[in-house]
Amino acid sequence: MKNPVIKINNIHFRYNNQTADDVLHIADLQVYEGEHLFIQGASGSGKTSLLNLITGINQPYKGSVQVLGQSLQNLSSMQCDQFRVDFLGIIFQQFNLLPFLSVLENVQLPCWFSAKRRSLAGNSSSEIKQTAMRLLTELSLSDTLFNQPANTLSVGQQQRIAVARALIGQPKIIIADEPTSSLDTDNRERFLELLFLEADKQKSTVVFVSHDSYIAPYFSRVIDLSQINLAG
Amino acid sequence: MKLIKIAFKSALNRKVSLSLAIFSIAISILLLLGVDTLRKQAKNNFLNTISQTDLIVGARSSPTNLLLYSVFHIGNATNNVSYASYQDIIASKKVKWSVPISLGDSHRGFRVMGTNGDYFRYYRYANGQNLAFQHGTAFSGVYDAVVGIDVAQSLNYQLNDEITLSHGIVATKYGEHADKPFRIVGILQKTGTPVDRTVMISLQGIEAIHIDWQSGTRSSLRISAEQALKMGLQPKNITAFMLGLSNRIEIFQLKRKINDYAKEPLLAIMPGSTLAYLWQTLGQFEKILMAISALVLLAGLIGLLIALLTTLNERRREMAVLRAVGAHTYHVIILFMLEAMLVVIVGCLVGIALLYGLQSIMQPIIAQNYGIYLHAQWPDTMQIIFLGLVLMLAMLLSLIPGVIAYKRSLQDGLMVKI
Repeated sequence: MKNPVIKINNIHFRYNNQTADDVLHIADLQVYEGEHLFIQGASGSGKTSLLNLITGINQPYKGSVQVLGQSLQNLSSMQCDQFRVDFLGIIFQQFNLLPFLSVLENVQLPCWFSAKRRSLAGNSSSEIKQTAMRLLTELSLSDTLFNQPANTLSVGQQQRIAVARALIGQPKIIIADEPTSSLDTDNRERFLELLFLEADKQKSTVVFVSHDSYIAPYFSRVIDLSQINLAG
Repeated sequence: MKLIKIAFKSALNRKVSLSLAIFSIAISILLLLGVDTLRKQAKNNFLNTISQTDLIVGARSSPTNLLLYSVFHIGNATNNVSYASYQDIIASKKVKWSVPISLGDSHRGFRVMGTNGDYFRYYRYANGQNLAFQHGTAFSGVYDAVVGIDVAQSLNYQLNDEITLSHGIVATKYGEHADKPFRIVGILQKTGTPVDRTVMISLQGIEAIHIDWQSGTRSSLRISAEQALKMGLQPKNITAFMLGLSNRIEIFQLKRKINDYAKEPLLAIMPGSTLAYLWQTLGQFEKILMAISALVLLAGLIGLLIALLTTLNERRREMAVLRAVGAHTYHVIILFMLEAMLVVIVGCLVGIALLYGLQSIMQPIIAQNYGIYLHAQWPDTMQIIFLGLVLMLAMLLSLIPGVIAYKRSLQDGLMVKI
């Protein structure tokens, strides 16, 4: 039985509500629990706009976005922020980390803002720290790096730390915005392997957007955004 | 709270620009508190110079002038008071005590004051404190002198040292009373008042050194110190005198009586009210100083604002990352406020520490040169309220970068494309 975790129904979205054209118009998109979805699209095809809708940063002016059964338009922006940190792990293209915090602190950041993530990561601050260390070790980061400032690490290492941070506290969905674009081929494959391994372990769904069709074969499902976006 | 930790570590990451902001705040706090402390303590010193004296009487001039020359030894009397009038007035039953003052001579830049033994008994300063001797006693002979502590220290005088006095305020070779030397018989303890910088001798001593002088110049007649002793040495004039009354209710009555004194034009003042009036006049100057300090503080705060604004761009990503891990948009504003608070609080502490450090270094120098005695004090209530206002102002100013960053982070969402 496949359970939809994200349901997008006939949404229209544009950046300013007056005369501009729609950036996105998606009739129907469902993301199922536990799947690895790859949404491919060229630059400017509306990838970022789609992610902003899924994460509740922006609202469509028509249609509905449901995440984990929750209609995002029914939430206040404060509730949206809380919902996001409680249920979504987010990985950016680059610069995921706060340069002035240590690697371990960066990984624990979501637990600082979400009681839910905190309780799922451990019962005490030392347990949460243990969880962060376990994730980092499983993502093949040497424990000598754990207490270093995040900006002293290589891009490949930083992206793996970002994965650990997205995973901590078992969020239901991992959203990744071109996290591999700044990595070379070897690192890219390794990154995806580790991401899928860990996401599967805690039964998180992965939604991955990229322009890079080369990595599409690693995913269980691939959607071309230009096919489903009826706008533009 | 974790947000404070994030703000603190983020601030550490930009320590150069923020330490400069802290430094400029510290300097302006130092200046402001310094001026305020100096002003308050100078006022205190000033008002403490004379106490429990009910009236000061001199030749008719302005009250301020009389106060300045008789108590602070600043400026000169316009005229003298005849000794006969002095005796006439103190004969009144209302007068409990009196101290005559005779000025006009100096010793190596220090004023010489002729008086009598009552001076050491009745003159009070601060909260009614008496003069006390560090060494020796009050003068008894005609050629005895008592010196204030600053005189003794700066000229390195001991008991029994001999000194000569000069005619007039500025020492000239021509006006030296070299033929009649005085012996130091007493050194007073520190008072923090102009007494410390005064040489005190008896009225007879004043009379003796001027016995062969006429109209301010030496006459051809020479009278030796020994010969002078045998002459009457009864003072004919004094410069001013202080009065203490048995019943303070009668101050106004006696004051009016002296001001209407028929035999010669006299002026009686109440030192407390004249001091207060004088300080009011000087108050304009202190207000200007305070205004300048406030402007310097404003400049310091604007420096802080600039330090916060210049980092806005590089912090755009920081804000996006924080938003991605669950920070609300209002957290962005709080982060800027916390940072401003951190800078201002550290700046205030550094400023206060600088103030105390500087005070302890400058204290002897200021005391010696300006007669103002500074005491290290905790900031008083007004100053603490003031520091609180500075903090609030800084937090208000931090709303500017805070709101800009907030708006940007609403716009950027999670995906900053720079």
